[in-house]
Amino acid sequence: MTRRRALLAAAGFGLCLLVPLVVSQDYQLNVLFRVFLFAALGLAWNLVGGYAGQLSLGHAAFFGIGAYGLTLFHQKLGIPVGAALVLGVLAAVAAALPIGRVAFRLRGPYFALATIAFAEVLRLSAKNLHDLTGGDVGAQAPALFATNPSRWFYWSAVALTALAFAVTALTARSRFGYSLQAIREDEDTALACGIDAARTKLLALAISAALTALGGALYASLFLYIVPDQVLAIDISNEIAIVAMLGGAGTLIGPIVGAVLLETASELFKNVFHEAHLLIYGVLIVLVVLFLPEGIVGTVTGWWRRRTKAP
Amino acid sequence: MLLVVLFVGAACKGRAPEEARSFRIGVITSLTGAAAAFGQAHKNGYTVALAELNARGGVLGKPIEILYYDDQSKPDQAVQGVAKLVDQDHVPIILGAFSSENTRAMIPAVTQKRVPLIMPTATADNVMESGSPWVFRICAGSSAYAGATLDFLKNNGAPKTLAIVYENTNFGQANAGSMKTAATAAGMTVVAEEGYQASSPDYKALLQRVLAKEPEVVYFASYLLDATTLMRQSEQVGLSPKYFTSAGTGFAAAEFPTEKGAGKYAEYTVSLAQWLPTAKWPGSKEFDDAFTKLTGAHPAYHAAEAYAALIVAADAINRAKSDQPAAIADAIRKTQLTTPFGPVQFDAKGQNAHQVLVTQVQGGQYKIVWPADAAEVKLVPTPAWSERH
Amino acid sequence: MEARLWSALQAVLNGLLTGSLYALIGMGMALIFGVMRIVNFAHGAFLMLGMYATYVLFDRLGVNPYLGFVAAAALLFVVGVLSYQLLLRRIAERSDFMQILLTLGVSLILTDGVQLLFGADYHQVNIPLLDVNLHLGRHISLNAPWLLSFAITLALAVGMFLFVMKSRFGRALRAIAQNRYAASLMGIDVLRTQALAFGLGLAAVGVAGGLLLPVFYLYPGVGDQFTLKAFVIVVLGGMGSIEGAAIAGVVLGVVESLTSLYWGNEWALVVDFAIFLLVLSLRPSGLFGSQRV
Repeated sequence: MTRRRALLAAAGFGLCLLVPLVVSQDYQLNVLFRVFLFAALGLAWNLVGGYAGQLSLGHAAFFGIGAYGLTLFHQKLGIPVGAALVLGVLAAVAAALPIGRVAFRLRGPYFALATIAFAEVLRLSAKNLHDLTGGDVGAQAPALFATNPSRWFYWSAVALTALAFAVTALTARSRFGYSLQAIREDEDTALACGIDAARTKLLALAISAALTALGGALYASLFLYIVPDQVLAIDISNEIAIVAMLGGAGTLIGPIVGAVLLETASELFKNVFHEAHLLIYGVLIVLVVLFLPEGIVGTVTGWWRRRTKAP
Repeated sequence: MLLVVLFVGAACKGRAPEEARSFRIGVITSLTGAAAAFGQAHKNGYTVALAELNARGGVLGKPIEILYYDDQSKPDQAVQGVAKLVDQDHVPIILGAFSSENTRAMIPAVTQKRVPLIMPTATADNVMESGSPWVFRICAGSSAYAGATLDFLKNNGAPKTLAIVYENTNFGQANAGSMKTAATAAGMTVVAEEGYQASSPDYKALLQRVLAKEPEVVYFASYLLDATTLMRQSEQVGLSPKYFTSAGTGFAAAEFPTEKGAGKYAEYTVSLAQWLPTAKWPGSKEFDDAFTKLTGAHPAYHAAEAYAALIVAADAINRAKSDQPAAIADAIRKTQLTTPFGPVQFDAKGQNAHQVLVTQVQGGQYKIVWPADAAEVKLVPTPAWSERH
Repeated sequence: MEARLWSALQAVLNGLLTGSLYALIGMGMALIFGVMRIVNFAHGAFLMLGMYATYVLFDRLGVNPYLGFVAAAALLFVVGVLSYQLLLRRIAERSDFMQILLTLGVSLILTDGVQLLFGADYHQVNIPLLDVNLHLGRHISLNAPWLLSFAITLALAVGMFLFVMKSRFGRALRAIAQNRYAASLMGIDVLRTQALAFGLGLAAVGVAGGLLLPVFYLYPGVGDQFTLKAFVIVVLGGMGSIEGAAIAGVVLGVVESLTSLYWGNEWALVVDFAIFLLVLSLRPSGLFGSQRV
């Protein structure tokens, strides 16, 4: 991306870091944490879903591995918190390899279903192996930050988003990124051009998994308590995918826009509509799909381009 | 462009209406999601209590207003609810959640924010193991369940072998764990520990597995409809232990012995009740009547627990004569109240020593059979399925 | 030893019976998936609708579910055609992404909508047939309602298969499944056919809902677990193959039952997914499929 845009983005993130000076309520910081967390997760997903065009609905697997990695490595093996975090991320990357190897041989909806299956197997296994993971009774996650946690977690989420953003930006303009997009447009032609599709996709998945796992670990540490139905749930996978797709898959700021709008809408609906909030949320999704087919950013960009076309 | 959106997002949450006209109490429960039916039961229980309390003048001279937060049956949403209710709505006390995992998730948050939490229905043991001085539990926990059942068994034939059948959720795993520990300590042999995927149509293979181990007692930890399926299919499989016991919930639901539940298959099952409409505590019947009038159905004990939680909260606030969380928490700790849910008094850890009643379904109704001083009737031995008709 | 054999046989038979319902749900999805390549994440929600429809008929009008399922099927047929015309048709040309999103949204709307209308409470249907068990010798007992569902499902499966193979409409469906563009060139009204196919697929699910109601129970979220199972079945059976889905459904039922017997009920679903992944990695076109994946 151009230097000007890069500086603008950096300034944007910098400004976001200043928010806790103005916003001090835990509740608002938690909501903002969620916004940035899902922005980061959406960006991570975007590498595989947007740029490579592989619709993954199983990213909760990596999220959960990050969460359980941090928790179990620390709790069961006594490894210090920082190292446990790193190990959790590495575990997610390690998991990405077999998952990718199996799933990437499939196209379209089959790939999505395979990713769902992997995530579900992990979730159910975590439930069943309750002596190891605590099962549904829960596991205590270590605290990454002792003082002022809300603020630090917010900053961490912003940092993670910035990292994911940077990774995506670098990828988009790199040879790696072009290969991904080529695969998305037409995998057979890409193969014919000499792109090692399998390896490229795996690499994208590995990076995506690492970022997602970081998010999972942060999340676990914020709540200090995790159960499989929370961190390995298909709901998380869906939410990540929805955020990225509605915001605009394959665009740079799409997932961020998606996260801001959807997470705040979700919270708002809950407070305003009470029991009907899921219905309204569903209607919102349907409306966006019907009328904003390229996602919000995609549609807005397209509209902008049409407006500024030379006469 | 990006930043504008962000700031709009951040700014639009700065609404915190200051209303001094009512006393606001926060409630977190599962109004949607997997536990929605129970969250609604909570809400109805709270509603009955609210009407009563406000008819008597509310607290500290103001009517009570309940602010509900829907945790969507998800633990992280429950935590979010704590933040919203305390930071934005400035409630000095929170009641909830429904499930053990959601409740457990909230503990660090209420502790950090120094706001008391009264738990109506979370039975898992780990919920009371945090050592936080801000949490109080009204209901009896899963180890109390196990203890009461084992007590009952020891005095009724002292069977030796036990099979535990539990749903693969927090409720099921927590109760299975408590029972396994307690049973082993009491000298029984646990011959089978079968977890099952809740909400399945077919448990026959599972029950065949249990049958093969020939347990004298089966202990279920199930919600209502699985309880019905399990009992029906126990008959189909021919599983006839000396006792079918259970950790309440599904096996203690109001509909369980009726045609809307397992009907005749529920007969002779032994369960635990935190509360029954026929309980002898003063006000039980009135609560039952009021609830039935509101909803058209009898309350299960979850609703009674919610009701009691609000009553206890109001009582504590009135005694504290303050709207400050710390003062209210102190007042809660000193509670000595008789409610339709029984006497409420919290020990040093915040646990109410709630009596667990052992019941048996006789003639389509729950009858208290244990402990001896509370028993209404004698226990009837459980006939094998082939002997029933 | 003998007891163990009988035990296994009993489990297999129970699995066949349960599997027949899975098969019906799977066949509905195979029809939809095969013809339109729509990944219908609202499949379970529609099943739930069928169950509620049957329940309302039972509760308000006393109609036995084994008759009521016909009405549920008819209702869902209409719902299916309408859903297709109003919603799915518009995104027929768009990416899989958006279809999945749309159906996810629809699922939320249906589930929450039903909760708002009917409440979150659980409901059960109690009919005398539930107590009837057929005994084969001393060791095997089969529950009557399940046998009835099996029979109805079998009849329906054969009917659907013949319909798709022999009728003109069925030929149109298969043509579209093979190559939509060529089919339209052949003069087939693709959109109308697809709408009807969607309706038919959901009608099958409506029947399944009606049959499931007596042996199970009802609440707004009851359908969710079946959506994923339906996908597993359709993929196992081979995309678009109705007979494949039928067989895969039954196989899945038996596998679950045997897993429950030998390993534990909590692992049954894991084994489902494990087999799913195994088939996907070894033979992605499924047991009966011939399409490129």
